[in-house]
Amino acid sequence: MRTYSVSLKQWVKILSSVTTKYNVFAPIQKEDFIDYELITEDNIEEISYNKAKPTTPLKAFMFPIKENVVKELKKEKRIILGIPSCDLSALNILDKIFLDEEFLDTYYKANRENTILIGSDCYEIEDSCHCKSYGVNPYPEENSDISFSLIDHKVILQVYTTKGENFISEFSDKLTEITELPKEIVEKRKSIIETLNLQNKDLPDAKETRKIVMKEGTVIWKKFAKDCVSCGACAVICPTCHCFLLIDKGNFEKVKNWDSCQYPSFERVAGDEDPLNKIYNRLKNRYLCKFVHKPDMFDEIACTGCGRCVDACIGKINKNELIIEASK
Amino acid sequence: MAEKNIYKPIKYKVDKIVTETPLIKTFFISADQEFEFQTGQFVEVTLDGIGEAPYTPSSSPSIKDKMELTIMNAGYVTGKMHELKGGEKIGIRGPYGKGYPIDKFYGKEILILGGGVGLAPLRCLILTLLEEEQKFKKIDICFGAKTPADFIYKDWFYELKKHKNVELLRSVDKADANWRESEGVVTVLLDKIKTDFQEIVAIVCGPPIMMKFGAKRLLELGVKDKNIYLSMETNMSCGLGKCGHCAMGEYFVCKDGPVFTYDKIKDTPEMVDFRKLFNKND
Repeated sequence: MRTYSVSLKQWVKILSSVTTKYNVFAPIQKEDFIDYELITEDNIEEISYNKAKPTTPLKAFMFPIKENVVKELKKEKRIILGIPSCDLSALNILDKIFLDEEFLDTYYKANRENTILIGSDCYEIEDSCHCKSYGVNPYPEENSDISFSLIDHKVILQVYTTKGENFISEFSDKLTEITELPKEIVEKRKSIIETLNLQNKDLPDAKETRKIVMKEGTVIWKKFAKDCVSCGACAVICPTCHCFLLIDKGNFEKVKNWDSCQYPSFERVAGDEDPLNKIYNRLKNRYLCKFVHKPDMFDEIACTGCGRCVDACIGKINKNELIIEASK
Repeated sequence: MAEKNIYKPIKYKVDKIVTETPLIKTFFISADQEFEFQTGQFVEVTLDGIGEAPYTPSSSPSIKDKMELTIMNAGYVTGKMHELKGGEKIGIRGPYGKGYPIDKFYGKEILILGGGVGLAPLRCLILTLLEEEQKFKKIDICFGAKTPADFIYKDWFYELKKHKNVELLRSVDKADANWRESEGVVTVLLDKIKTDFQEIVAIVCGPPIMMKFGAKRLLELGVKDKNIYLSMETNMSCGLGKCGHCAMGEYFVCKDGPVFTYDKIKDTPEMVDFRKLFNKND
């Protein structure tokens, strides 16, 4: 793995030239949220580096909200810069679903292949962040082509893949190769982990959460489901939720459209049988899927601790509070 | 070679439609290309611009350019399906799911328990078995319907009765004056079968309530749980193990099923008794 250093000023110049060849998306701070935007000369100086997760999960780039999956695929070379580690880890589940050898989703595959992923350290965290509780570190470790850190006006890039190497080679003459990660980064990472551990000290880990979810009968789900309005925001915003509905568009075209097990009638069959007809069943189903069924299927939990579902819930159902209450 | 688009249907023409009962029709369809599937697998049928729904063909897999689909009018897509007149184009994607492991059945007695429109996929299975009838010890077929008029494939029963190796038993929940066979739920037929239940393979397909009580009775009679094959019914959209609609416990019913042996699902409460899912303490 090679590590490079470059001044922020020079980095902005490099990135600016990159935008002529690729569509570059990076997080930009808005009034009260941060989200990916297409980077142009006008907003290149406004990129928010090394903040906590953007509002939109990374999955939206690979598995778009709506995608016509019969029409010819558009090939767009993209770079996504500033991806938090929780979203990178979430690709493990999505890859298992969509890159499954038996039924390979060529649309997802193309979206993955045409995109260079530049992960970034989280140097700020939010109250809802809890990646570390599920074994995910707050800096890129997997599924990223390159990692990015901005520290003391210096950009540090670490390259993990051939795809990343090839990209870097387009401007490596402007970078300085360094032998190891600067000490400041190592220390910053340590301190972020400590903060995460402290703010989630009561939150059980993945294994414990699995046991808790499995043993819960109905009481806790009924209690928390009282505030659920089946809006599905928790699923929409979740970096691992992969459910969709194939909508018939006419002319034998199909549109893969995000769906959610939190919506009424998600599992309804002809004759009106519906195993998930009650809100609290749907709520429980979500937790079972994340912490029990997905690990049984793929050896991996389907929650990377991004905390977006906690932030997005309009009924203010806090997933972590639910788990902690159930653990008592 | 370009990778296959898993979402794109093949176009079929609706050649003929036969009304089986007031609620059930059989659609005879054909395509320009051959289509391979195994008995027990299903296809996704597209009604263009309306929607898609999963069905197991009722015809034999050995006929590759034609297919028959027997469909009950039970919802939106099936309702629209029943409005077809013939001559239309429909789409087929598949085949999906795991088929019945026919080679495991060789040399054994096979008991088939079916109810209502559940006879459709079983017809595909029975046609397949009969193509190599001598390889099975015996085939017991127990079919049930609400009333004599609710039986589909009425002419086919005469065919079946001609096979020496086949024992066909039928029952109806409510008999009429002309009914000479059994009366009662389909499981009453099991008591008329004289066999060593420990050695047989049992295949069940029908409404969920019938599957539940069918499996229960078969277990009581001594059929081994790994030899009881159940067809699970769930909501499905993609058929590919991706969209999540058919997720039941650790399985995607579309990809891991739709046929499961009882030993595989007995510990998955959602599957064994899916309507009581989570509701035990209500």
